[in-house]
Amino acid sequence: MTLPEFFGCTLIAFGTPFALFVLTIANDSMRIIMLIAAAFFWLLSLLLSSMLWFAIVPLRDVLAFGVVFSVLFQECFRYIIYRILRSTEQALHAVAEDTRITENKHILAYVSGLGFGIISGLFALVNVLADMTGPGTMGLKGGSEIFFVTSAVQVLSIVLLHTFWSVIFFNAFDTNNYLHIFYVVGSHLFVSLLTLLNADGLYWASLVPNYVVTILTGVLAFKVAGGTSNSFKRFLMCR
Amino acid sequence: MAEQMKTAAIWLLLWLQSTAGVLGERTREKMYEPILGASCFRRLNGTHQTGCSSTFSGSVGVLHLINTDADLEFLLNSPPSPPYAPLIPPHLFTRTNLLRLKNAGPKTISVVLLINRSKRMTQFSHELNCPNQYSGLKLSNSTATVTCDASNVANTWNRWGTGLLHEDFPFPIYYIADPEEIDKLEECFNKFNNFDYESHSLRSLCAVEIKSFMSAAVNSEVCMRRTNFINNLGGSKYCDPLEGRNVYATLYPRTPTESFDVDATEKFIVVSCRLDTTSMFDGLGLGAMDSLQSLAILTQVAHMLHKLLPSANSQPNPKRNVLFLAFNGESYDYIGSQRLVYDMENLAFPSRSTRTTPISFENIEFMLDIGTLDDIGNIKLHTLTSTPPAQQLLQRLNQYAKSSRYGFNVNIESNVGYNIPPTSAQSFLRRDQKFPALILNAAPNNRYYHSIYDDIDNVDYVYANTSQDYTKLADVNDAKNISWSSLQMKVRNVSSIVAMALYETLTGKQYQGNQVANPLLADEFFYCFLMSSDCPLFKASSYPNSPAGVPLPPMRYISVLGGSQESSGWTYRLFGYLLSHQEPSVPKENCTQLPLFYFAGLNGTGECRRTTQNYTHALSPAFLIEDYDWRSGQYSTWTESTWSQFSARIFLRPSHVHEVTILSIGIVVFIISFCLIYIISSRWEVLFEDLPASNAALFN
Repeated sequence: MTLPEFFGCTLIAFGTPFALFVLTIANDSMRIIMLIAAAFFWLLSLLLSSMLWFAIVPLRDVLAFGVVFSVLFQECFRYIIYRILRSTEQALHAVAEDTRITENKHILAYVSGLGFGIISGLFALVNVLADMTGPGTMGLKGGSEIFFVTSAVQVLSIVLLHTFWSVIFFNAFDTNNYLHIFYVVGSHLFVSLLTLLNADGLYWASLVPNYVVTILTGVLAFKVAGGTSNSFKRFLMCR
Repeated sequence: MAEQMKTAAIWLLLWLQSTAGVLGERTREKMYEPILGASCFRRLNGTHQTGCSSTFSGSVGVLHLINTDADLEFLLNSPPSPPYAPLIPPHLFTRTNLLRLKNAGPKTISVVLLINRSKRMTQFSHELNCPNQYSGLKLSNSTATVTCDASNVANTWNRWGTGLLHEDFPFPIYYIADPEEIDKLEECFNKFNNFDYESHSLRSLCAVEIKSFMSAAVNSEVCMRRTNFINNLGGSKYCDPLEGRNVYATLYPRTPTESFDVDATEKFIVVSCRLDTTSMFDGLGLGAMDSLQSLAILTQVAHMLHKLLPSANSQPNPKRNVLFLAFNGESYDYIGSQRLVYDMENLAFPSRSTRTTPISFENIEFMLDIGTLDDIGNIKLHTLTSTPPAQQLLQRLNQYAKSSRYGFNVNIESNVGYNIPPTSAQSFLRRDQKFPALILNAAPNNRYYHSIYDDIDNVDYVYANTSQDYTKLADVNDAKNISWSSLQMKVRNVSSIVAMALYETLTGKQYQGNQVANPLLADEFFYCFLMSSDCPLFKASSYPNSPAGVPLPPMRYISVLGGSQESSGWTYRLFGYLLSHQEPSVPKENCTQLPLFYFAGLNGTGECRRTTQNYTHALSPAFLIEDYDWRSGQYSTWTESTWSQFSARIFLRPSHVHEVTILSIGIVVFIISFCLIYIISSRWEVLFEDLPASNAALFN
């Protein structure tokens, strides 16, 4: 019955990542491999966090505990990817058809970040999407009608955030910019803990700060990747 | 070792699953609330399909409580956000209303919920005005039975009947009995739907989804062909024939023999009634008045004759016997009796495994069929033609019925002609109109014939629960603390009259005793069949210390192969217990093979008894005869569709506006992001003009 709702939410959440994939990743086999590898590493972090959650029985109901450790695991694995990519860079350079991937190392950061983002978005939303295909919508026993849209919008921001974070994070380790590393981990924690407000139906209280952080992080990533206000102006003026 | 590993793995999996089940909270659980109820399902006969089915994925409708006819008009004439699911109380569940809902089509009405608010109900019967109209006794040139004229409703056997049981509905009908579940529905309706009807199409509404998809369609012929193994490589079943077991018992044990020829000197008086009932909804329907009363009377008659005439030698002709028959599936074109007639024609009754001679029609002296006795004080003895044995029995019945000595005050009149009630005897009369069938039947007075409301209240039954001995006959003046006007006493009176008349027929002597049927036996009988299978009478007639029955009355619908068959099972044991002689000399270890059976007995101590009861198969001959013409109307062709599940749940159905908004937002976001990213990716060199600071460090 509510297939329209299902497709609407899927497009909201994954429309942008899909466009990114099609237009920037799909034409280079190396980038696809990197994307999948990054997704795999995110899965490993999920495995570890769930094992921790499963092992510590008394804290199972305390979501905040799980969230904090999950964020830390994800950042650890982001670092592991970073180490692996950096150590295999020369080999990559040798086999890559399109050498831009190694010449501009932000591309690698961007690809692995998108891989992180897509898989985490999928895991966040697939269960909700599956429940959406039935005939009903939220609201019979509490919950709001806009729950599904909110989830989709939230997921979109998470996907974008992961992409930005990876770009900042990789660059920060290259340049030993500890402030940026701290910003990535801190904003990740902040955004994740914000989502706990959703349990009380405070959707605006979580979404608005979430998108503020997304925009700030985006701007930072843009700067890190070599963008300036001048280049942005020129881009807009189509020069 | 490998085996151990496997079990360990399975245990681990199970454990993981159970923990996941406890902790997992899906969004779904916040969206849906299951509703408990009973569903209407599809049955098919040789020409039609009847009943209801949901769509394959489940039918969804917006809840709307119907309190008055005006509410119904609103739904049918100007539904703001169809399809709807009307919640209908029984007094509005009429033929006119249902047919209007049906004609409105599934686009307007997709589900119908019947709620158990029976305050204003005065009648509720979904059987035809003429039950079993197209079977039974027919004249050669007609398809309908001659014994009931459907055009003259006031004179039919079920004049309150709506015939809805024989209609085909394009929507599922769900019956909700539990008041809590009804409150849930009403609360949801009031909270989300019951205001501002104009804006129904703009907001989310409380809706219900029913899943009761029926896999069979068209008619029994089509669905049996599809189910047929040769045509059906998938191996799935689409429908099953209605099938059960008739129960029979004889007053005296028959002599075991190896011969399979009919013994013409053996004479039987057949006393019969029907065992089953039916209703529109799965697993419901007690049939208290429409058939249980006659079964109670049959049981009491059998028990009293057994007590009065313990041995065949106590009557002048020891070759005379009484055969008690309880037919199954009679609600569906006399399945049980048609099959018995078919078996008797083929000399296959009783089956060879019983090691007794077959019984044929010439062995039957006469048949006394106990029909529906709605008004127990005023009974008619129906016969097709007036014969001396019939008159003699009538005279004997009346002699006891009106006798001041017993004070039964029952009047039994004669009724000769084609106007005979829809009972099992019709199957015998149809084969041969000269068959000596006599039918005891009262004027039809049951407003709840074949319905879910033919229950304890309909027969005014109150359990006396005296815990006294019910296996002995009682003195005629001893009411055992049961009210004289109660159901138990009425059953006692009729059964005593019938038993006394049969006593006189068997012995040739008038009954002089003061002993009559025990009202406590009727009391216990009704308690078992109307309230709980976990009851003293059923316990006494099972094996000692066997597990107690469920505290629900046994299902009395004939059902299909592999169906519950509870009522035939209990009747079988009951006949066994009440019509058997104790064999004190046989120890428990040797009391294992029929006809010997070990019963718990009245005190539960255990006793070995020589029984006479048995089953016969109640499956219509239509399913045995090769290349049977399904449209011939000769035998019952009823089948029941298979289904995978019955479920109902309520939830909020989003409005179309809501759905379309979300879908369009999604599409817009998708298109915008494609355009934007295309522009960025095609001109990214402009955007990221600076060489990355860390790039220099790359190739060190």
